Amino acid sequence: MIYLDNAATTFPKAPGTLERALERYRELGVSPGRGNHDLAMRASDAVDEVRTKVAAFFGAPDPDRVAFGANATDALNTAILGLVHPGDHVVATRLEHNSVLRPLHHLAEAGVITWDAAPFDERGVVTADAVEALLRPSTRLVVMTHASNVIGTVQPVREVAAVCAARGIPLVVDAAQSAGQVPIDMAAMGISALAFTGHKSLYGPSGIGGLVVMPDLEIATSRFGGTGMDSASLVHTQSYPLRLEAGTLNLLGVLGLGEGLDFVSAEGVAVIHEREAALLTRLRDGLGALDGVTLYLADGELTDRVAVLACSVAGVHPQDVGAILDGDYDIAVRVGVHCAPLVHRELRTIDRGAVRFSLGAFTTEAEVDAAIDAMRAIAEPC
Amino acid sequence: MADTTARSRVARLVAGRSVYFDDEGFFWDPDDWSEEAALELARERGMDGLDEVQWRVIRFMRGWYNHHGRAPMNKDLKAGTELTLLELERLFPDGIKLGARVLAGLPNPKTCLD
Repeated sequence: MIYLDNAATTFPKAPGTLERALERYRELGVSPGRGNHDLAMRASDAVDEVRTKVAAFFGAPDPDRVAFGANATDALNTAILGLVHPGDHVVATRLEHNSVLRPLHHLAEAGVITWDAAPFDERGVVTADAVEALLRPSTRLVVMTHASNVIGTVQPVREVAAVCAARGIPLVVDAAQSAGQVPIDMAAMGISALAFTGHKSLYGPSGIGGLVVMPDLEIATSRFGGTGMDSASLVHTQSYPLRLEAGTLNLLGVLGLGEGLDFVSAEGVAVIHEREAALLTRLRDGLGALDGVTLYLADGELTDRVAVLACSVAGVHPQDVGAILDGDYDIAVRVGVHCAPLVHRELRTIDRGAVRFSLGAFTTEAEVDAAIDAMRAIAEPC
Repeated sequence: MADTTARSRVARLVAGRSVYFDDEGFFWDPDDWSEEAALELARERGMDGLDEVQWRVIRFMRGWYNHHGRAPMNKDLKAGTELTLLELERLFPDGIKLGARVLAGLPNPKTCLD
């Protein structure tokens, strides 16, 4: 099988990572931080070890401000719900995934906030000027994706952060697609909080992600429950990271994330990115040369991209393209609107969606060439 | 920002019966399908009826759906019809999803693929 759906989740995972995570889970798979037996302490230490890796990976100073959750959507909900108050205005972008759009829409429908989405330009970039133009005196939060999950463009987060910092507005970044593909240094880039998921380009399992919070930002608790601390109190623990965690952690997921981070760190984010950018360019050039294939915002150098390419075939429904690639060529891609409806509205593909190819650390040139050949056959006139 | 993407259904007369369809032309209720309805929908698409191969595809899809409670997966469809999916795409003027699947009266896969 040729798996080109890595933006949904990377597959396969790096050799040995799942096995090592499972082996450690077999050794210390108890509830971390609960009880005073040694195994609970060892499990807690293992979790803290991964918090430290995550903080270092993203250039954040305090591992205690790495709060684990289920995925990036979970982390974004934690950030958004913990930062807004009635009457606040929020700015997002038209590149956002539903992980941002739906919480904001929900809050707006409930009459809690108002919000606007900054447009992207002909390059697929939301400029700092576009964000700044939407800021109001009541704007209390800017939340934006670091890289589009549809067109792959990496956004000028550093410039947006500077605009936000000048007004004292926190910037929350959705790094679901970029973490592991693009170097991220929260301190240097001015990111206030960063949501990530483990199962994409961090090569961990699904069901683990988190929110990394800089020391100058306070996020209110929005889910409440057991933390293993202050158990006699009815008030949820307010120290980090437990302030943003409720209930028993996904220990196996945390261990798998740690293994994935080790893999990515050993390979090197810049090396992975360079390799994938070369393959993406090969794919873009190959598909771009086919009559009947339309590429979306894929011109020019592809170095400022994650390895994602969206396209369509004239006269063939994107879902049929996906079915043919799968059934006839054993090639897995993602079709539809990719949980990013505003992007597809702008691309005028909202009715039928598009075909998305997404590459990973284990994608080869031969697989890219096979995908181009398959698309050539599909696009060929009857 | 307003949400304008809610799905809707409309009723119209097909093969002498009032039938609900969704906004992409899929039967709202697969049990409303009949061979007469399939033929009428085919003619609406400019097809000159349905030939033997097209009927074989439609009957396979409906048989699978009735037995398994869901549409055949891609490789099941290929094996069961003994056609490549590219051949299937070209067998129906509107392709696999909006052609074969609609005419077979299977549910719209939209909700699980978006």
